[in-house]
Amino acid sequence: MAQSLIETTWMGEDVSIAQIERELARLRAESSEEGAQPNLRTSVMTHIAWAPPEWQGAAEETLAGMAERHPSRTLLLVPRPDEPDGVDAEVSMRCYPVGDRAICGEVIQLTLRGNRSRAPASIVLPLLISDLPVFVRWRGRPVWESPEFVQLIGVVDRLIVDSTEWPDLPGSYQELAELFSKVVVSDIAWERTERWRSLLASLWPGIRDVRAIRVHGTAAQAYLLAGWLRSRLGQPVTLELDERERLEGIELDGQPASFPPGAPPNASDVLSAQLDRFSRDRIYEEAVRATS
Amino acid sequence: MTTTEAPPNPLLEGLTLRRRPDPCLLVIFGASGDLTSKKLMPALYSLALRRLLPDKFGIVGAARSEESDDAFRERMKQAVKDHARDPFKDEIWDELAAGMRYVTLDFADDKGEDALAEKLKELDEERGTLGNRVYYFAVPPSAIGTLVDEIAARRSAEGWVRLVIEKPFGHDLESARELNAKLQESFAENEVYRIDHYLGKETVQNMLALRFANGIFEPIWNRQFIDHVQITVAESIGIEGRAGYYEQAGAIRDIFQNHLLQLVAITAMEPPIDFTADSVRNEKLKVLKSMHTPGPKHVVRGQYGPGFVEGVEVRGYREEEGVAQGSMTETFVAAKLFVDNWRWADTPFYVRMGKRLARRETTIAIQFKRAPHPPFAHTADEDLRPNTLLIHVQPNEGISLAIGAKVPGQGMTIRTVHMDFLYGGAFREGLPDAYERLILDAMLGDATLFTRSDEIEEQWELVDAIVSFWRRDRISFPNYPAGTWGPSAADELMQRDGRSWRSH
Repeated sequence: MAQSLIETTWMGEDVSIAQIERELARLRAESSEEGAQPNLRTSVMTHIAWAPPEWQGAAEETLAGMAERHPSRTLLLVPRPDEPDGVDAEVSMRCYPVGDRAICGEVIQLTLRGNRSRAPASIVLPLLISDLPVFVRWRGRPVWESPEFVQLIGVVDRLIVDSTEWPDLPGSYQELAELFSKVVVSDIAWERTERWRSLLASLWPGIRDVRAIRVHGTAAQAYLLAGWLRSRLGQPVTLELDERERLEGIELDGQPASFPPGAPPNASDVLSAQLDRFSRDRIYEEAVRATS
Repeated sequence: MTTTEAPPNPLLEGLTLRRRPDPCLLVIFGASGDLTSKKLMPALYSLALRRLLPDKFGIVGAARSEESDDAFRERMKQAVKDHARDPFKDEIWDELAAGMRYVTLDFADDKGEDALAEKLKELDEERGTLGNRVYYFAVPPSAIGTLVDEIAARRSAEGWVRLVIEKPFGHDLESARELNAKLQESFAENEVYRIDHYLGKETVQNMLALRFANGIFEPIWNRQFIDHVQITVAESIGIEGRAGYYEQAGAIRDIFQNHLLQLVAITAMEPPIDFTADSVRNEKLKVLKSMHTPGPKHVVRGQYGPGFVEGVEVRGYREEEGVAQGSMTETFVAAKLFVDNWRWADTPFYVRMGKRLARRETTIAIQFKRAPHPPFAHTADEDLRPNTLLIHVQPNEGISLAIGAKVPGQGMTIRTVHMDFLYGGAFREGLPDAYERLILDAMLGDATLFTRSDEIEEQWELVDAIVSFWRRDRISFPNYPAGTWGPSAADELMQRDGRSWRSH
């Protein structure tokens, strides 16, 4: 449950990494009252979010719901390649009271202007916390061969995408599959199908010979569910998509499946679940390969 | 004709399936008591909220007092509103309450049992619970025997039965053995779940993670590197109106016999080969078996007199309602224990526990040996304190490591600083209550966090030996004011060894 947040912030234009680190140290020192126990900086990871301006609002909203559950250093990278070269920073300490102490996470929002947006790894590397896992949440569909994408997946342990945000499905899944040998990938659209996959799994063995699935949901969820059934059952399963904003129902060979119990998770819950995982998800990878 | 079994379900692969128990009915004996309203029902509500209870489930409260089903539901609803860790949601409660019933039961009279059996049968049909039963005994040990007989007599061939027994499990070795024998007459050991709610606490389980999931601790977790271990189970509250129970139990039966000895066992045990119930319990049992009985000089008992707790004046134990004026019941115990095995020989475990102490705190402190030769001139020995690994079981669950660090500036002044891992800081999911974990485990048939009969008996053997020499000595009570850290003899227990209790 959200508790009262204490936030201290510093903003600067055309900043250097050294300046950001100095300001972080100052904010950390100032975040506790004089004479009181110093606040704890707690980090379980470095979390990078690549959020082009059109995704910035959504990225901030998700982060707000998640920061408390995964205290981390968050680097929110907002590329603005069309502006003059430079890096602007907004550095915040976000502290939550726990007992008589406060736990602080750090959010560093960097606007990468001009050419600086083309070399994000060199900006991110000095700001990673040693020895902790690094996740990158890539908003929108990556431009697969772009230098910024290639660089960033080279420095992180896990790439998190949401294929619901992609315009050209299922074609992009084949390009995504090319990445599986380079970086561990997880997909929020896949996570959102988990309740439904559990439900479908509970229909075994009746579901064994299913040949057609009709999905009332997003294209991403539909392709992934169909790919999952094909890869797990080892047989062709045709897909019919009735596109909706969220997954609202499934029919198997014309018969509607019941609705899974419980409420669907919110965006922060889904991302949070992804951040708890570290290893490759072979089942997801096979489902992606079988999407078309 | 041959039948072919369905092949393994390939759709289950990779799914993080929540552990969900079989359909069952939970019968709570002692449903009018505090434990039911403060712990069990809030825990059941939290499990329901997280969809961890079986799909088909029902609860039957049983107690002596007359109460209707509706009155029971209403009382439990209020209990959940008052004590649950989660916000109250009508729809969750309504679903849970639909399967709730109440039976008036005189524990000494088998007629009530017939009524209970009738109600369970009805509920089985209504809820589809297949005859599976969890019986939760939130009643004194004296009431358990009759109930167990009645349950055994009415046991049907359908479904499984699990008995969850609250502490105290007996009041001495003999009574514990009798109770074990009574249970074993009709039930197998794997059907009996003796609860010690400390084992359900996340931080106690985290001790196992700390020791066995990290390569750095286990190599130094022994007599070569550890000077001693201190375990404190301190409560600032008094007996809270439970004089009837506490006068009989005292601190040694209330805390030492169960929680405290389990904490020692988990701290000292060898790595289990796996995390199954018997592997973990075998290792704990070895620790209990290798513990010396402490001599009279190594045990201190105390009873609180009047004093101040958090600025409020409080009565002494003998002035509490229901306590005899000349009561000789101990409200504090400190002891120096030895685990006599290869790993721990000569390494003392100092333990203390009690009521009306300075603050509520349960900690396990592993004090390492001092650095052998401090090379810094002008640094007094006392400035170089030994490293301590502190496991905070409650409150502020977490782990701290005390290390010496240089004070910035000229010269070489060393000061002890704490590196803290605060559970609430790294994992903000909200720690489940111990009862949530344990009720769910019992429904799932996982006994890892419950105490086995042989562990219980070893624990009582140690307690009986301590209590036997208390009968012979004369002690003057009260011997510590409420709101302090216990009698001075507890400090002397450590000072004699050139050590002291951790400062607070």
